[in-house]
Amino acid sequence: MSAAATAPALTFACKAAQVAVGKPTIVTIGRIRVGIFQLEDGYAALLNICPHRAGHLCEGPVSGTNRQTDKAEFVYERAGEIIRCAWHGWEFDIRSGKCLVDEKLRARTFPVHVDGDDIYLEMRR
Amino acid sequence: MFIVDTDVHNYWSSAEVLLPYLEPYWRDFLVRGEKPGPRGSFPHGHRPWLHPEGFSRHDIRPETEDDNYLIMKEKHLDLYDIDVAILTADEPLEASTLANYHYANALVKAYNDYMIDWWLPKDNRFKGSIIISPTDPHGAAAEIRRLGGHKDIVQVLASHGSQRPYGDPFYHPIYEACAEVGLPFAIHFGGQGGVNHNAIASGPTAYYWETHALLAQPAMTHVVSMISNGVFEKYPDLYFVVIECGVSWVPSLMWRLDANFKALRKETPWLKMLPSEYCRRNIRFSTQPLEQPQNVRHLWETLEHMDGQNTLLFASDYPHWDFDAPTNLHIPPAWRDKVMGLNALEVYKRIEAPAAAARVA
Repeated sequence: MSAAATAPALTFACKAAQVAVGKPTIVTIGRIRVGIFQLEDGYAALLNICPHRAGHLCEGPVSGTNRQTDKAEFVYERAGEIIRCAWHGWEFDIRSGKCLVDEKLRARTFPVHVDGDDIYLEMRR
Repeated sequence: MFIVDTDVHNYWSSAEVLLPYLEPYWRDFLVRGEKPGPRGSFPHGHRPWLHPEGFSRHDIRPETEDDNYLIMKEKHLDLYDIDVAILTADEPLEASTLANYHYANALVKAYNDYMIDWWLPKDNRFKGSIIISPTDPHGAAAEIRRLGGHKDIVQVLASHGSQRPYGDPFYHPIYEACAEVGLPFAIHFGGQGGVNHNAIASGPTAYYWETHALLAQPAMTHVVSMISNGVFEKYPDLYFVVIECGVSWVPSLMWRLDANFKALRKETPWLKMLPSEYCRRNIRFSTQPLEQPQNVRHLWETLEHMDGQNTLLFASDYPHWDFDAPTNLHIPPAWRDKVMGLNALEVYKRIEAPAAAARVA
């Protein structure tokens, strides 16, 4: 098997400079739109379609959330790691795409590769 | 498909857009008077709970007055190929929370003039609602008569937060005016706080999602009151449209009403039909926010009991956080043509039917 057959197909998404922590960039690749996120430890990419009701997932606010507690205390955590869908506000983990109230509900993610100033996505063709 | 969206909110960048439409005394009130928020806020008796993220969709962020329309056109009207969008305002519904009904009347009049001047000419898909402040029914009736003949005005609209149930004879001057100009009377979720009763019958809720799940409560009260007080005997052609109050509660309420009426009809001898028959004839319900059970068949079976195919009107509630997209509305496929647009033609007679016929054919 040649190296070319096993290497993931990479698609150019955008320049790294176009993405900032807390401010995703939405790029159009072919017929789909993908949100590119910069986290403290790297990049993530999510399809801009919410698995709940097909809303504009990546156009919502990047935020943290309140930890589940046993009493009335508000422990804000995971700042910058959560995207709330622009339409209905459902919360998703930016890295895994998992919905916070139901892990079975998952936004589509794409592995991200950074090469110098360029961001590439691993996309099935 | 012919689509009539019966709940499209036309917002503004600041309530100061009303200034040119206000008499000098009320203009001073809005510029220098006390307000619930910063400069440019709309005056109202504020509700006790707040949405933690703001109640608008986060992908709709108009920065100028023109953005309001251009974003709506791109992200809603054109995207979903909507044929008719009934404008339902936004903050002006809250004028009903003010005790000073002179000021409330001035504010809704200014809004109605602004809407007719600024919004209606922008797009031939737009139809307008006359916003009234029901705290002064005679003032409201005068406003209905002032503007009710406008060709692009299709309904009279009040908040569902109110001082008393809407069937109360106190409000009948409003229905007399509606009947006179041939417009439906609609209520829309909102207007809690101030002089109006709280959204929740037993006392205020603390959280937004808690309150939102209970938005049917005032609507139930109004539906029962309109029927029992004989509004639809007095005005048999009047349509009462219930917007953004949910729908799946309607069948169980009608079952209860019909059963009780059979035993106690002598209390309201002016009624000549079962409550559910008035409901079926005179009341229409907008779909949004449509309930979301795990199994959609449970919803569909419930909606069949209210003849949903004929009594539901599609609404998106653009651009609010609980928006329903026309492409993603969970209703029985066989109902789509009627619920998405054709039912609205019966209620809103000023919407041109030829366009609808062309879209269905």
